[in-house]
Amino acid sequence: MGRQVKRALAIVLLAALAAVLFLTLDLGAAAPAALRDYLFERGSEETGSINLVSAIYLGYRVFDTLGETVVMLVSVMGVAAVLGEHG
Amino acid sequence: MKESEIVDMVSRKLTPYILLLGLYLVSFGHLSPGGGFQGGAVLATGIIQLALARGVRATTRVFPLRRFSLVETAGFFLFLLIGTVGMLAGLSFLGIFLPTGTPGRIPSAGFIFFLNLIIGMKVAAGMSLICLTILKEQGT
Repeated sequence: MGRQVKRALAIVLLAALAAVLFLTLDLGAAAPAALRDYLFERGSEETGSINLVSAIYLGYRVFDTLGETVVMLVSVMGVAAVLGEHG
Repeated sequence: MKESEIVDMVSRKLTPYILLLGLYLVSFGHLSPGGGFQGGAVLATGIIQLALARGVRATTRVFPLRRFSLVETAGFFLFLLIGTVGMLAGLSFLGIFLPTGTPGRIPSAGFIFFLNLIIGMKVAAGMSLICLTILKEQGT
C-alpha cells in the first residue's frame, strides 16, 4: 500500500471515530449538579475556607494534592540528578 | 549575555514586589483567589526573573541552590507530618484536626492555611531549582 492510501485510510477512520464520539456526547447531562450544589452550600462551613477552590483542593481532595507534591518532588529530583553538580 | 541597564534596573526594583505579591497569594489562599500553587509560581517568577537579568551566579549568592533542595524536601515531609498528626488525633490520614473557625477570619480553615504555606514554599523552591539548574547548564 502506498503512503497516500495509508494516510487517506487513517483520516477516514479518525473522522468516523470523531463522528461516533460526537454523536454520543450528551451536552445536557445533569449528573454533577448535586455535587456542585452540595459544595456551594456546605463547602465553606465544612472546611472553614471561603475560597471554594482551596476548600476542594486542600480539604476534600487533599490526598490528590499530596500526590501532586510527589510529582513536583520527583521532577525536581530528575532535573537535579541529570544536570546538577552535586547529584 | 549582553548587559542592559534598563533590564538590570527594572528587574532589581520589581523583584521585591513580585515576591510580596506571591507571599500575599500564598497566605490569603483560603480567603481570596490564589493559593499555594499559584502563589508559589509567582514567587518562582521573581527569582527566575532575577536570574535572567543578573545571571545565575549572582542569584545563587542570594538564593543558594542547596537551600532550594532543602525546602523542597522539607515541604514534602511537613505535608506528611500534618497528615500523620490527623491520624494521631483519631481521624483518618489528612483528616481535618484543627478547628475550622468562622469562615472569613484570617486564622480559620483548619490546616488549609498551613498547607498553603508549605505548598507555596515547595512550589517556589522546586520551580526555581529547575529553572536555575537549566540556566546554569546553559551558562547564563
